Amino acid sequence: MRRHHHGLPWPRRDRDEQVACEFCDAVQPAPRLREGEGAYCGNCGELLYQNRPRSLSRATGFSIAALIFMLLAHSFPFLTMSAAGASTKLSLIRCARALSHDGDVLLSWLCIFFTIIAPLALVGSLLYMSAPLLYGRALPGALQIARWFQRSEPWAMLEVFLLGFIVSLLKLGHLAEIHFNIGLWSLVALVICIAGATAGIDRRELWDRLELAVDPAPKPEPVDRAG
Amino acid sequence: MKSEPVRFAADLGLASCHTCGKLSPVKSGHCPRCGSGLHLRKPDSLARTLAFLLGSIAFYIPAMSLPVMNVSGLGGGEQSTILSGVVTFWEMGSYPVAIIIFTASVLIPILKIAALAWLCLAATGRFSGTHKKMALTYHITELVGRWSMVDVFVVAILACLVRLGNLMTITPGPAALSFAAVVILTMLSAMSFDPRLLWDQRRATPTP
Ligand SMILES: [Zn+2]
Repeated sequence: MRRHHHGLPWPRRDRDEQVACEFCDAVQPAPRLREGEGAYCGNCGELLYQNRPRSLSRATGFSIAALIFMLLAHSFPFLTMSAAGASTKLSLIRCARALSHDGDVLLSWLCIFFTIIAPLALVGSLLYMSAPLLYGRALPGALQIARWFQRSEPWAMLEVFLLGFIVSLLKLGHLAEIHFNIGLWSLVALVICIAGATAGIDRRELWDRLELAVDPAPKPEPVDRAG
Repeated sequence: MKSEPVRFAADLGLASCHTCGKLSPVKSGHCPRCGSGLHLRKPDSLARTLAFLLGSIAFYIPAMSLPVMNVSGLGGGEQSTILSGVVTFWEMGSYPVAIIIFTASVLIPILKIAALAWLCLAATGRFSGTHKKMALTYHITELVGRWSMVDVFVVAILACLVRLGNLMTITPGPAALSFAAVVILTMLSAMSFDPRLLWDQRRATPTP
């Protein structure tokens, strides 16, 4: 059974949920929203959360596509450059290898982390959560994975790498003959897919749905023994 | 507009989880939904933000003054710092490259460090600004920091590409690693800053 109905708010476990603004700490009721609507803080005006249209199916689709493009971007070079009878190829792995070859092992590991490990963790964890949530389920360890997803988000810097690529080409453009390969177009597509996957989903929606999928029964009201 | 007075979570003993945003009593210690530790504010927010900030300022000095890459070729070796690279490209007429590198490597880190210092001052009450301005500053520091990594990637890409039949090699200089440290430290600094401190400060001072 599909749990995501177009246009409707996402389900929640607690009916009268409250939310505190992350910016000014004002407590306010957290209404359920129809798709396309956003909830804003009544005190300071910050965005509290949004219901983005078809967020789960978008996140699933974009992250599957991103994984495929990631595979392509790693297996094909971005470009071939030839000058003076010699030619070199560029890919993420080769880039890191060139750095470690020149003795800067730490820098090479940083590049691997920012451009390979963090994006993979981001996309992989998003797919692991969002695909089963389409059917109202959560796979084992989903809560831990959700934390990984949030932590890896700022560290995935493929779009910055792409800008670095453009700058390097502008620097080298007239030095050699350059042919673009499949790897580059896959990298461009990968950056777009990661943006689509992460922009599609709101964290609060993800957590609300996860909570419901992990433990659907509402807990009894906690008894305040101190009071 | 507001019919009832605003209630703040900290006054009610409620903490919103840093990870998942669920509101629960701070007494329970751990978030019932995701299991992260609960705090009213990010622990030691100001001290951590300042520590990371000072670290990034310390690394910014070698990042600017030491060579970011060594170019060695037939005509001997040559070292270039970030600033000398910008000047070279400007003189060569490659204005886009010069502007991108200058913005990403010089302007953004300095502005980000200044903005974080300003936010820290505002959170201790030594500086007051309108809430809108502070919110905007905070969001910009969150968004913009990662783009400073661009120069590190450029060095990595050039090191890989320029191996033209042993005519020329490019190796990263010490500034490249320092620069990566600046970016990472300013990102950590922005992450440890708790924007609610700004509003706490505003609430503490009586409004006229
Ligand atoms: Zn607010």
